[in-house]
Amino acid sequence: MNVAATTDDTEHDEHTGALAPPGARRRGTGRIAMAVSAFGELLITAGLVLGLFVVYSLWWTNVVADHKADQQGDKVRDHWAAQQDTGPGALDTREGIGFLHVPTMKNGEVLVEKGTSSKVLNDGVAGYYTDPAKATLPMSGKNGNFTLAAHRDGHGAKFHNIDKVRKGDPIVFETKDKWYVYKVYAVLPETSKYNVKVLSSIPEESGKKKAGKYITLTTCTPVFTSRYRYVVWGELERVEQVDSERTPPKELG
Amino acid sequence: MYSFIWRHLPGNAWVKALISLVLVAAVVYVLFQYVFPWAEPLLPFNDVTVDNQ
Repeated sequence: MNVAATTDDTEHDEHTGALAPPGARRRGTGRIAMAVSAFGELLITAGLVLGLFVVYSLWWTNVVADHKADQQGDKVRDHWAAQQDTGPGALDTREGIGFLHVPTMKNGEVLVEKGTSSKVLNDGVAGYYTDPAKATLPMSGKNGNFTLAAHRDGHGAKFHNIDKVRKGDPIVFETKDKWYVYKVYAVLPETSKYNVKVLSSIPEESGKKKAGKYITLTTCTPVFTSRYRYVVWGELERVEQVDSERTPPKELG
Repeated sequence: MYSFIWRHLPGNAWVKALISLVLVAAVVYVLFQYVFPWAEPLLPFNDVTVDNQ
């Protein structure tokens, strides 16, 4: 009996003496430590996700958009080549109406498609406005404003270098059978995003009072944000016929 | 959180590391494919047009 009791006691002692107090202490501080480390891990995770979002918006969207734009651009060029024999056919606006070349932006050729919704622009193209003011297409031959928008960052970032464009720089719009050569005559480096007047057929803010054939490029500014809009205006200088080799006008040489 | 996942992955350290890599890749894929494209229009970084709204 005695022996059994001592054994019980020692066992009991061992349990309480050796395990319980450290266990209790571990549980007490352990909970806080665990909560802190879980919170820390959450913060690290959030940081990583935000970092990934930057990678996504500044790199991945460009990869996707450039791929899409190349595909669609090739399709338009193939289409033009196929139409060569049959003469000018109906204008397919869904595929893209032509290519914009702005040598100062050093971005090669930018496919121009209809509309300025993000669905259109996210494919790495420039879109011509249908809303709030409808763009006057240069092919129509009418006076008006050929208004375009494209991304400044991500999704191809086609107008990223718009701030490099100066007065007198050429903007060339290429269609199936014409080169429309515009010359930049005014730049508005910052305006409200509600300033739809910049899209008017006679953009008065650019200093023009008379009707003419204008081109307007809009994008967001400053870079990486959309607080304001950056606007570049050009006026049609001349129209060149596309020759059989598609020799670009001297502005693109 | 991460140590909890690590402890519950099967296999030895190499297998665990491999599964972790696959898991990370899957998470990145889901983020790039679904979460970011959804979140992007909600953030004011990429509006390039002028409009009345």
